[in-house]
Amino acid sequence: MNEITDRGLIRQYLLGKIDAQTELEEKLSECIFTNEKVTDIVDSVEDEILENYLEGSLDPTEKDAVEKYFLQAPERKEKLRFAKLLAFHLKKKAFDVLPHVSFTQAGSWYSHFRTYGMLAALALVLVASLVYIGGLQQKHAQLETQLAQEKEQSSALAKQAELLQPTIVPLTLVADRARGTESSMPQVEVKSSTRRIMVEIALPGASSGAFDVRLENKNGGAQLWSARVSPLISRDGDARLVFDVPADAIQSDVYSFLVTSASSANQSARHYDFQAKLAN
Amino acid sequence: MVKTLLLGGFRPAGGLQVGESTSGERQVYSVSPMVARGAKKALTPDAFGKFLRWLSQNDEEAVREYQSIRMRLVRYFVHKGCPDPDDLFDRTIDVVVGKIDECGDCPSLPAYCFGVAKNIWRQDLRERNLAQSVDPEENMALPAHPEPSFSEQELKCLEHCVEQLSPSDREIVSQYHQSQGHDKIETRKRLADGVGGLNALRIKMCRIRKIFGFASLPV
Repeated sequence: MNEITDRGLIRQYLLGKIDAQTELEEKLSECIFTNEKVTDIVDSVEDEILENYLEGSLDPTEKDAVEKYFLQAPERKEKLRFAKLLAFHLKKKAFDVLPHVSFTQAGSWYSHFRTYGMLAALALVLVASLVYIGGLQQKHAQLETQLAQEKEQSSALAKQAELLQPTIVPLTLVADRARGTESSMPQVEVKSSTRRIMVEIALPGASSGAFDVRLENKNGGAQLWSARVSPLISRDGDARLVFDVPADAIQSDVYSFLVTSASSANQSARHYDFQAKLAN
Repeated sequence: MVKTLLLGGFRPAGGLQVGESTSGERQVYSVSPMVARGAKKALTPDAFGKFLRWLSQNDEEAVREYQSIRMRLVRYFVHKGCPDPDDLFDRTIDVVVGKIDECGDCPSLPAYCFGVAKNIWRQDLRERNLAQSVDPEENMALPAHPEPSFSEQELKCLEHCVEQLSPSDREIVSQYHQSQGHDKIETRKRLADGVGGLNALRIKMCRIRKIFGFASLPV
């Protein structure tokens, strides 16, 4: 037997399990004695037995063999003591490096630290969010203020624009309903700035005396405005009525001025139609 | 011999009364059971010097050979579960020295010493078995292995030794001994993969432990 590779056999040998098998025992002993290469294997099996003993993973028979046979030599006892010392040292070192791993109390501290840390982080996020939201609200308020100012400015400009718009629009009526056509009906655009409509009605022939003028809608159902107006007579003898009516009662519709002579009942009434359009 | 002793390089064997040879080469020497251990025959300097000359004519070489034989024989007695391997080694050398004139033609002195050692072990085993049968209490009184207490000095010394290891060896030692249960199995499997298998890992760990100076056998 030049070399042993069977760790199980070496284990049995080291535990004294094959002492009774004289031939095998002597071969193994001689091999170990003469072959230095086997030394490391045998020593490592020794270490393994000690590890198993310390772990408590040996079966009762092996444990008994370790205590009554394997550990008889002082060297082995010293080796066991060293194994315990090394384990103790490494546990202590692990505690020093990672306290939360080994001890409940330390773990609790770490757990609390982690909880507090999370709470602190949460509080930080909340504060940051509040600051951010506050900033947004402030910005929003500023924008609203600016918008209000813009609106005011816009309104003021609109008013200024209205002031710039003409408040009186002209309306000239030449042909009465009997002579006029639907397609050629005069039109007047009434804007929001329009306050009054300046009306000029050309009267046919030589007309004198005052005339009653009424503004009514096309069907004549409602009288919107009325007045007695004296005509203006030119050098050529042409007569025309010039007056103005308020524009606030005017909607987009067809209206008519009914003109009748206030002094002569024989003269027939004339209707002067026009189309009003409201502009924005 | 005086020169080599002054060097402090080895522990000379003690003396032991030698019994008569009873059989062939393996059973040539036996220790008389009638002789108490305390009544050993002193090994004379002349006899020990003769033994060393037999090992080698060169002093240093002779000492090295003696140390080698001693280391291997003590290891043998440790493996055989002997409570006092050094004493058995002394007894072995005493026997060999006592018969040195008879084994001058032996082809291998270490093999001759080993043959004697086997007989010494068997004799010792018989003595121990006899003692246990006479006094069963001795068996019952086998020392337990209580949790040892470690001194600060020992821990500091160990810390120093660990620091002397290479970083990779230190990491292996640390990981090898940490974890519990399934984690330990997985850790060692991973370490084993890194060094060529579990047996290779165990041998490596064994060698590292020897670096600590806690090898199982004195050198």
